[in-house]
Amino acid sequence: MPDVLIADDSEFMRNLLREILEEDHTIVGEVENGVEAVEVYKEETPDLVMMDIVMPIRDGIEATDEIKSANPDANVIMCTSVGQEEKMKEAVKAGADGYITKPFQKPSVIEAIEDVVPS
Amino acid sequence: MNVDIQSLGTFNQLAHEGAQQATQSMAQMTGIDASVDVTKITLVDREDVGEALVGQDFVGVQFDFEGVLEGDTVLAFDTDSADTMVDALIPGGSDDEAMARSGVEEVGNIMMSGFIDGWADYLEAAIEHSPPTYIEKSGREVLPETRHPDDHEQVFVFKSEIEWVGESVNFYIYMLPEYEAFAEVMTEHADTEGDAIPIDKLHTFNEMTTSGTQKAADNVEMMTGIPTEAEVSQISFAPITDVPKQIGTDTYVGTVVEFTGVPSGYLLVLFDEVSAINVAEAMMPIEMDGDELTDQHESAIEELGNIMTSGFVDGWANVLQTSVDHSPPRLVHDMGRSIMDPLAAQVGQHQEHAFIIDSRMKTDDIEFEAEIHALPNEQELRRALEDLDVERADETDADVEQIFE
Repeated sequence: MPDVLIADDSEFMRNLLREILEEDHTIVGEVENGVEAVEVYKEETPDLVMMDIVMPIRDGIEATDEIKSANPDANVIMCTSVGQEEKMKEAVKAGADGYITKPFQKPSVIEAIEDVVPS
Repeated sequence: MNVDIQSLGTFNQLAHEGAQQATQSMAQMTGIDASVDVTKITLVDREDVGEALVGQDFVGVQFDFEGVLEGDTVLAFDTDSADTMVDALIPGGSDDEAMARSGVEEVGNIMMSGFIDGWADYLEAAIEHSPPTYIEKSGREVLPETRHPDDHEQVFVFKSEIEWVGESVNFYIYMLPEYEAFAEVMTEHADTEGDAIPIDKLHTFNEMTTSGTQKAADNVEMMTGIPTEAEVSQISFAPITDVPKQIGTDTYVGTVVEFTGVPSGYLLVLFDEVSAINVAEAMMPIEMDGDELTDQHESAIEELGNIMTSGFVDGWANVLQTSVDHSPPRLVHDMGRSIMDPLAAQVGQHQEHAFIIDSRMKTDDIEFEAEIHALPNEQELRRALEDLDVERADETDADVEQIFE
């Protein structure tokens, strides 16, 4: 099963993502900000990071940029409420592999993961 | 046609002073102590005018006026307030239907003459008004039928709320100027070299706000499964000191975010307490015990506020081809005015008046209502409107698949 790191400042959203993913994925960590996301990524090197954008301390785009700089093969899917074209372009520039806008339903999450980390 | 911030402030001040004069007239006649709570100019869809009146019965008077300005004005008391006022004029007068009606007509006539005269004096022109027409109606029916319903979808409305000191009763003064004449007056008074805003861009921005409200309502529906409808979207202009008063004294649960970019400002998503519990439980997979807000409720509300905020502001960013960042949501649970007070104080460091963007949504399935209030920085909103390409107004959604191809 692919290892997944969930980075989201919302406990509610972390719980929701865990429920969607835990059947077919191993959750290796849940973090609340971009700094923790980079740290845990470097410790665990998961197959996939589900990354929120709007987070305290360091946002998800900066964290993605740092993870991708450290490991260009890292897989990061932005999982965010932000639906702005400019932000999506920033995410592409940072190296994001996919983009899911909240609110989402399980099939769209699974489909996005399949595109990035085929089972 | 352009309108500048200074003129909007002046017109708002005129309406406020008019309402104060009307209120003083009433106080002199009745001895009832009252004060003008809020006066604001609102640009709103014609069909949403008077939405605050729904569910109440009113008596009052209506005038039409013409001259340099044309339109209608209405003074509306809720029925209990009217009885109190008539009894203060003539003890026991409210028991006599004809006397009660005559009392309302006369007080209304004196009050509203003062209201209109202030406008005429400022504009240095005559504004004639008709004799008062007594009205006894419910909800928004108390407001007059529009004269030219097909001319403009959005209209300017001046609304003053007057509060009786020590009583939980309010009454309202509405002034509904005909669009063309009012827009011309505003344009004549605009400083086109300064901070003028083209009126059509305000309209377009209002339409974008309506679209954002619908997106936020769609997000609520997707997260809760509850069919949710966007109700009212409007942009108002008021003195910064009046902004907190518009939220009222009820207790709310919701989120506050600061957004940065063009424009910057604050955005509140507010639920009354019952709605907050209902919507949070609709988002959660398990039934919650008790009727108190738990940490789980608050976490759900925080995330819903975050998603509704994005739904609301993303359209602005996409149409303006810019990005509007926002902070993580901060949960608030307090009286409405107490939530808004520090935000208005923050914005008020740089401006005397504020645009306030208000939206409401509701569902018929459960008790649920949500309000969104945005308080943008005035200068930056003006810059955003300058940059706004009205041809792009419907391009509120970004195509994620195309960008990630």
